[in-house]
Amino acid sequence: MSILTAVIVGVAMGVVFGFALEKSRVFEPGVIVGQMQLRTFIMLKVFLTAVATGAVVLAVLNGFGFVKLAPKAALYYADIIGGLILGVGITMAGACPGTTLAQVGAGYRDAIYTLVGGLFGAVAYTYAQPMLSKTFLGEGAGKIVFTDLLGIPYWAGALIFAGALVVILIVMENRRPWRAELGNDVDGYFGPARPEA
Amino acid sequence: MLTQKAWSPYLAGLVIGLLQIPAFLIVETALGASSSYVTIGVWLTGYVDPSITGIGYAASHVSAAAKNWWQVAMVGGIAIGAFVSMKLSGARRAAISPIWSRAIGTASSKPRYAMAFLGGFVMLFGARIADGCTSGHGISGMAQLSVGSTVAVAAMFAGGIGAAMLFKRV
Repeated sequence: MSILTAVIVGVAMGVVFGFALEKSRVFEPGVIVGQMQLRTFIMLKVFLTAVATGAVVLAVLNGFGFVKLAPKAALYYADIIGGLILGVGITMAGACPGTTLAQVGAGYRDAIYTLVGGLFGAVAYTYAQPMLSKTFLGEGAGKIVFTDLLGIPYWAGALIFAGALVVILIVMENRRPWRAELGNDVDGYFGPARPEA
Repeated sequence: MLTQKAWSPYLAGLVIGLLQIPAFLIVETALGASSSYVTIGVWLTGYVDPSITGIGYAASHVSAAAKNWWQVAMVGGIAIGAFVSMKLSGARRAAISPIWSRAIGTASSKPRYAMAFLGGFVMLFGARIADGCTSGHGISGMAQLSVGSTVAVAAMFAGGIGAAMLFKRV
């Protein structure tokens, strides 16, 4: 595929992605920090729905042989340590790498600082990568998927997993209806209109 | 519907999950976001330190591979999509979300900008160690039933929840 085609497809997909992130309010710092404080669950609702949908999509596409899967290799130390650091960063930023751009588009000025900080972080990692990859962080177990461990076909496992997620989402919605989680100005904020300094 | 301020998280999640169709069929990759920070970061750094592309990791992220620039374009498209959605609904945002003055105890913008920069740095450094973020490990990795991605997502929420408990409840 030419770079030009890739860029056109990318922009088109990104516009849809950004639209959905903005409409769901999951890009709001109040929703992301609220999720980490276990106060609102909109982030998990969007996230698990996207995972379940993706699992069904890939069960069909892979099950009928249209696409190959591309799971990342399991690097347990890197997954755990990197994941912990990433999580701390998400809470400090009130954003994840993708939603940072949605915040920029929607007009949050601090997100520009998150974006620039993110670029510096990515470059700092790049300089450290040759050294870090020789440590225990580079130790991995290869591409492991749960269905291989269970000895069942991917499509079957993916459909079962998606079904389980739907049950979890129904229970979650019954306990905490999403409309009640939106906040004062669809921003996940429930405090006084003029926050105290 | 396009002018609504908020959609059901289930509708939005469905739309995001369906994006795996063009990702896998057209680009032959999974949805992801954090690699694009390496691509742009290395590309910009190249003007100051051309030797950075001597690092294999850097070179592979700025090479003319369709995947690299597809992801950069997609992440840029996210900003456009969010901007259009906000304009259609009129859900204007202040410069800084009101949660921050509660969470960090000051309404002035400079501490928040510093915190956002630091948060962005930490976030991407962690995401690159883990080799993926909420999109790559989360949405794509878990849908592919990847064991490593599931571990990374669990660690991500553990780190995020731990840090958020240090804030005042917003």
